[in-house]
Amino acid sequence: MNLTNAEIGKEYIIQSIDTQDDELNSFLFTLGCYSGQAITVLANKKNGIVISIKDSRYNIDLNLANLISII
Amino acid sequence: MRIALAGNPNSGKTTMYNALTGKNEKVGNWAGVTVDKRESSLKKGFCKEECVIVDLPGAYSMSPFTSEESITSSYVKNEKLDVIINIVDATNLSRSLFFSTQLLDLSIPVVIALNKNDINVKKDTQINEKLLSEKLNCPVIKTVSTSSEGLKEVIEKAILVKGKKQISPYHEASYDHSLKSEVEKADRKRFDFVSEIVKQVETRKIETNVRNQQDRLDDIITNPLFGLPLFAIVMFCVFYISQSTIGPWLADYLVGWIETFQGYVGNLLANANPFLQALIVDGIIGGVGAVVGFLPLVMVMYFLLALLEDCGYMARATVVLDPVFKKVGLSGKSVIPMIIGTGCAIPAIMACRTIRNERERRATAMLTPFMPCGAKLPVIALFAGAFFPDVPWLGTMMYFVGILLILIGAFIVKAVTGFKYRKSFFIIELPEYKIPSLKLAVTSMFERGKAYIVKAGTIILVCNTVVQIMQSFNWSFQVVEAGLESTSILASLATPIAYILIPITGVCAWQLAAASITGFIAKENVVGTLAVCYGLSAFIDTEELALIGSGNVVMTTMAITKVAALAYLMFNLYTPPCFAALGAMNSEMKSKKWLLAAIFLQLGMGYTVAFLVYQIGTIMTIHTLGPGFLPGLLIVLFFIGCILLRIHKTNIELKEEK
Repeated sequence: MNLTNAEIGKEYIIQSIDTQDDELNSFLFTLGCYSGQAITVLANKKNGIVISIKDSRYNIDLNLANLISII
Repeated sequence: MRIALAGNPNSGKTTMYNALTGKNEKVGNWAGVTVDKRESSLKKGFCKEECVIVDLPGAYSMSPFTSEESITSSYVKNEKLDVIINIVDATNLSRSLFFSTQLLDLSIPVVIALNKNDINVKKDTQINEKLLSEKLNCPVIKTVSTSSEGLKEVIEKAILVKGKKQISPYHEASYDHSLKSEVEKADRKRFDFVSEIVKQVETRKIETNVRNQQDRLDDIITNPLFGLPLFAIVMFCVFYISQSTIGPWLADYLVGWIETFQGYVGNLLANANPFLQALIVDGIIGGVGAVVGFLPLVMVMYFLLALLEDCGYMARATVVLDPVFKKVGLSGKSVIPMIIGTGCAIPAIMACRTIRNERERRATAMLTPFMPCGAKLPVIALFAGAFFPDVPWLGTMMYFVGILLILIGAFIVKAVTGFKYRKSFFIIELPEYKIPSLKLAVTSMFERGKAYIVKAGTIILVCNTVVQIMQSFNWSFQVVEAGLESTSILASLATPIAYILIPITGVCAWQLAAASITGFIAKENVVGTLAVCYGLSAFIDTEELALIGSGNVVMTTMAITKVAALAYLMFNLYTPPCFAALGAMNSEMKSKKWLLAAIFLQLGMGYTVAFLVYQIGTIMTIHTLGPGFLPGLLIVLFFIGCILLRIHKTNIELKEEK
């Protein structure tokens, strides 16, 4: 499953980030968003979802949320 | 001695820089407020030695991702630095220390400032800084840069470690840096190292990945349905308060003083040469005074915007606007330059660097100037006050029209460039909401006010002097006689442009044309030049304590209708910005083709909007077409034709590609 259908407030582990975009990938990496790391969805709205990684909150759009697979 | 400040975006680097150097650089709580490095000398109170502090754009790592990050990494690697002060957001060690360990690898002595300690105290998060210091082989000091707490100690430590070789706490096995998978493997290990340290030094009472009050507030503020109207209301309040209530109220007092001063100088020069008297009293004091009179409006606006930014709202605004901007081929990231653009287009255009996609970045740089900047504010205030005293929201409307034009412009750019659907991603950090700092807002307000006065006293003063001289002499360098003003140098130069403006203003007035032309040097000049050319000094009525009421001097002297005034105002707002902003566009776009396209689009859009407003407005008010309808229509059709042709060409190219 990916981030868009995550349960709110539950901690998941990132399984993979499905993008060929190296820049995006390495940027997400520096935020601590890479496979094996914990991630929590705190809000899921039509205009984006709010995630918590490594003690920070980010708003990401649905395009990006769809790329992040979690278990 | 050179000390660089480096750290993650929004860790408080610029706030610390300002505290250390006594400067007042713009700070903000989103990534990308600082997009270029800047340096200044350290305040004497901190250190006896001569010392330069360098503020760098925020970076999450040494591997460059955005261009501000590469400024940071190349600067840190190549410049001869004595010490690096690494500013670490103490509320987010687990992410920040990744960059810290990379800085510690460079052999340059590092001092870590554990910033935002006040928030940790409030949340009862404890960090054992002694242990952290041992683990990282460098001094660690808790700081609060907003109140300068701990800064003295940071500098003391920096002087102490100067000249020593930094020993890295983390030993990375050598690997092939050209292989992506190898780099990632090494970086994962580095993150594991960081996590291990964080586990040992940090004890949290409040977990960060649990929904809290702030998230519930975000649900409302960034709600897909209410978010947009809320943004509109918030911005409306900012503009309305600064331009229709508190701003003009303060401006009245200021204008009173300026007029007294003008009268005083006028009396002093009563017996002087009439040309000299006119030059000083009407040209210089009158022109500059007309611009300075609007200072309180600019300052109040800055005060409010600074409060709004500081409380954390702006990051949310980008979230709300992202879907809207995506529809026209831009993204939420484009919102940041536009908000900065309410101040000045130049930093706004520079802020476009944070946008990764080239097309998106250039389009944003091209469209940002549609957002009325601080220099356009006096122009708006003048026309709104003089012609529409009973419509207090008119000035505010100009900002919303600006946003609308940005969306239309983006749509045109999207069609012209043959934008193929490309997934663009949007990610923004949501800083915590907080009570905005009054001190910061006041500093920001005075900084802006100072810049405004300096500009009025330099560029605007020179321009007004030149305008006054040019309108006082004719081509045979004789003083123009009263009643024969149209023979002056200025009038004859401006008249050709005045013809082009007939479909917008309904009259052929060289004064209006001259004001628009000088506006390209600096937009405040529109006000200054009108003041000089029409011999009007103060645009604000001090007796009524309001921006000039109806049936006033300005309206009768200019002899144009209300509709024409609105059209002329919009022409000045939405045509290309000043030359300085065009220069910034040139350097950010790095393409002559894009720059020319931008100027063409701005000229075309500005003219078209003004033409439509005047002609449609005239039909609605006096049920007849305004003068110059046909020539104006031809110009507008030419503009639209050029764009349609270009779009058509792109479509053919796209088809051929398929």
